[in-house]
Amino acid sequence: MAQHKVVILGPEDTPIDIERSEMADLDVEFVQANPESEGEAIEVVKDADAIMTRAGWGTAAVLDATERCQVFAMYSHGFDVIDVEACNRNGIILTNSAGMCAEEVSDQAAAFILALNRHTVQTTEHVRAGGWDRLAFPCDPLDSQVLGLVGFGNIARLVARKMSGWGMETLVYDPYTSPWVIKEYRVEQVFDLNELCAAADYVTIIVPLNDETRHMIGAEQFKAMKKSAYLVNVCRGPVVNEAALIDALNAGEIRGAGLDVFEVEPTPVDNPLLKMPNVICAPHSAGLSSRSQVLSTQRAAAQVASVLRGEMPMAVQNPEVASKIGARRRAAGLPAAG
Amino acid sequence: MSSEIRGLYVGPNDIDIEPHSRAFKAIGAEVDRVEDSDLGAIIEAVKDADVLISEGHKLDAQLFDHMGFNGRCQGMVSFGHGFDGIDLSAASDNGVVLSNTASFGTEEVSNHTMLLFLVASRKFVLHHKLTSNGQWTREYLPPMGHISGQTFGIVGIGNIGRAVARKAKAFGMNVVAYDPMRPSWDIKEYGVEPILSLDELCSVSDYVSPHVYLSDSTYHMFSDRQFELMKTTAYLINCSRGPVVDEAALIRALQSGQIAGAALDVFEQEPPDPDNPLFKMDNVAVTNHYASYSEIAWDRAQSQLGEEAVRIATGSWPMSHINPDVRHKVPNRTTPIQWELYVQQLQAGK
Repeated sequence: MAQHKVVILGPEDTPIDIERSEMADLDVEFVQANPESEGEAIEVVKDADAIMTRAGWGTAAVLDATERCQVFAMYSHGFDVIDVEACNRNGIILTNSAGMCAEEVSDQAAAFILALNRHTVQTTEHVRAGGWDRLAFPCDPLDSQVLGLVGFGNIARLVARKMSGWGMETLVYDPYTSPWVIKEYRVEQVFDLNELCAAADYVTIIVPLNDETRHMIGAEQFKAMKKSAYLVNVCRGPVVNEAALIDALNAGEIRGAGLDVFEVEPTPVDNPLLKMPNVICAPHSAGLSSRSQVLSTQRAAAQVASVLRGEMPMAVQNPEVASKIGARRRAAGLPAAG
Repeated sequence: MSSEIRGLYVGPNDIDIEPHSRAFKAIGAEVDRVEDSDLGAIIEAVKDADVLISEGHKLDAQLFDHMGFNGRCQGMVSFGHGFDGIDLSAASDNGVVLSNTASFGTEEVSNHTMLLFLVASRKFVLHHKLTSNGQWTREYLPPMGHISGQTFGIVGIGNIGRAVARKAKAFGMNVVAYDPMRPSWDIKEYGVEPILSLDELCSVSDYVSPHVYLSDSTYHMFSDRQFELMKTTAYLINCSRGPVVDEAALIRALQSGQIAGAALDVFEQEPPDPDNPLFKMDNVAVTNHYASYSEIAWDRAQSQLGEEAVRIATGSWPMSHINPDVRHKVPNRTTPIQWELYVQQLQAGK
C-alpha cells in the first residue's frame, strides 16, 4: 500500500500525468472518482490523505467524514463552494491554484473596460445592421477616467498595472491590503465602498465569494455610482445582487455592465441582462487560456505535494487552520508540520 | 475596555515615543516605558503590559519566558526590517506573536541601493579621489558597463527587492531574481525573471544585490563559491545585513580580481574596525548603515509600531507577522485589516 492516498474528484477520464510528475518523489496512490451523491463522496474520501477537486464536494458532511485528510486542493481560484469552517475544525489545509489565471482574468477585465468604453459590441452590431452613425456612441477618453477596483489581490493588481498603460487613475477599496502594497502600486485607496462607487467610472470587482462579499454590490452601491459609470464583474456572480443590477440598468442609474459571471450559471436564456445592448457578457470564461488549464493542474498538485512533504504550501486559503494542523497530522501518524 | 490596554516601550530613555503612542492614544490607551539596558526591570514591567514595543536592539530571549503563555503580554513589535536580534523560535515556543515595521523604508533602502549601484558602476570612488587629488585621467575607466541592457540580479524579492527591480527597470536593465520563498508567478508579475538557483544568478548578473533578512539560511550566503561564479566585471551591492556576506571571502575576491568591486552599507561587525581592508580599496564604496533613513520613513516606522502593537493587544494578527509558526500554537486571532478601518472598529467598541 502506498504511503499517501490522493483522491481526485471530477471526470474520471481526466489525465493525471501532471499530478503524477509533481508528486514523483512521493509514494502516492491516485484514486479518481466522480461521486454522484454525498454518500458516495464520503465513501471515496474517508481514508484519503489529500483531496483534489474539480467537482466540489467540500461539504461539512464530507469533510467531517475524513479521517486523515490534510489538504483539500481546488483546481480553481474560487473556493466559495467549500465549507471553510469544516476544513478548519478538521485541520484540513484548503488551497487553490492562486495565480494560475491571473493574467487571463485581468485581461478579461481590461477587455471589458475597453469594449465598454469604445462600445465595441454595439458598434459592431450597428455597422452589421447597415448603420453608419458616427455620433451614436459618445465616449470619454480612458486617460481622463477612474478605474475603481474592489479587492486588490493578485488579479486586481494586474488590472491596475495594465490599465495604467492607458493612463487611468486607479482607486482601490480592500480592507485587507497592507498600506505598503497600496503604495507600491501607486494607487489611491478609499476606506468606504460607496465612496469608491461614487468616484469610479468602471467599478471592477475582483474578490473571493464569501459571506462578507455576497451581494456586496447592490441597490445602495448602484445609487452611489455615477449614471455614466460601468460595472465590471469577473469574479463571482453572487457578489452582485443581480436583481438590483437589472433595476439599476432599467432605471438608468448606471450606464452598462461587463459580466463574465452570473448569480445562476449557466444564466437562463431569458435573463433580462442578455437583452440589454449596454451589457456585454461571457460564459464565465475569463480564466481560460491554453496556459491556464495546465497551470491550474500544476499549481493544485504542487500544493498537495508540499503538504504531503510536511511543508506549508504557498497558496493556503485558510491560514486560521494552523492551530489545528498538528492534531490532524498526529492522527495520521505523522510528525507535526513545521 | 480599550483604556485598560497598556503598551510597553523598551528602548533608550532619550527617544521621544510620541509617534509610537499615536495608535494607543487613538483608542484611549497608554504606553509605559522602560530602559532597555536592565533585563530585570523589563521583565518586571512586562508583567503589566499587553504588548511590547522594542527599539529593535538585541533582546534577551529570557524575556519571552514571561510573555505569551506565561503572562499578560501577548506579543512584541520591533523597529526596523530585520529581526536578527530576536530569537524567533523562543518567541514562538512561548506563544509570543511578533511583528516588525515592514516596508517603512522601502523607498529609502531601494534608493540607497541604486545610489551604491551607480557609484560602483561609474567607478565613482576612484575618480572622485583622482580628480580631487589633481589627477585628470581617463586611464582607469575601462571596463565600464552600459547599464542599460545589463543584468541586475536581486536575491530576495520582498518589498525592497521589488522596489529595486522597478527602479533598475527604469534604467533599462534586465532584472532577474532568486527567491525560493516566492512563487514564480509573483516574481513575473513585476516583470522580473525568476532564477532558480543562487549559483545561476551569480553567474548571469552584472550587479548582484541581496535584499534578504539575516537568518541561519542567509548567513554567509555570499562566500568564495559565489564570488568565483560572478563575472570579473560584476559588482556586489549590499544594503541588507553584513553577515549575509562572508566579508573575508569578499576581501579575497576583491584582492584577486574575481569581481570588479563592491558597494556596502552594512558590515559583519558594526561599527567596523577602522583597519578593515575594504576601506583601503578604490573599487569599494561604503556607507554607515543608514540606507533606510529619512525623517518620513522613521516617523512612519514609529507610528506603524504602535498600530501593529494595538492590533496584537486587541486580538488581531499583525499585518507584518514575522513568526507565522506561532499560529500552530496559539488560539486564532482576527484577520488584520487596514489601520484606518480597524481604529474605527475599536473606537466603536466592536
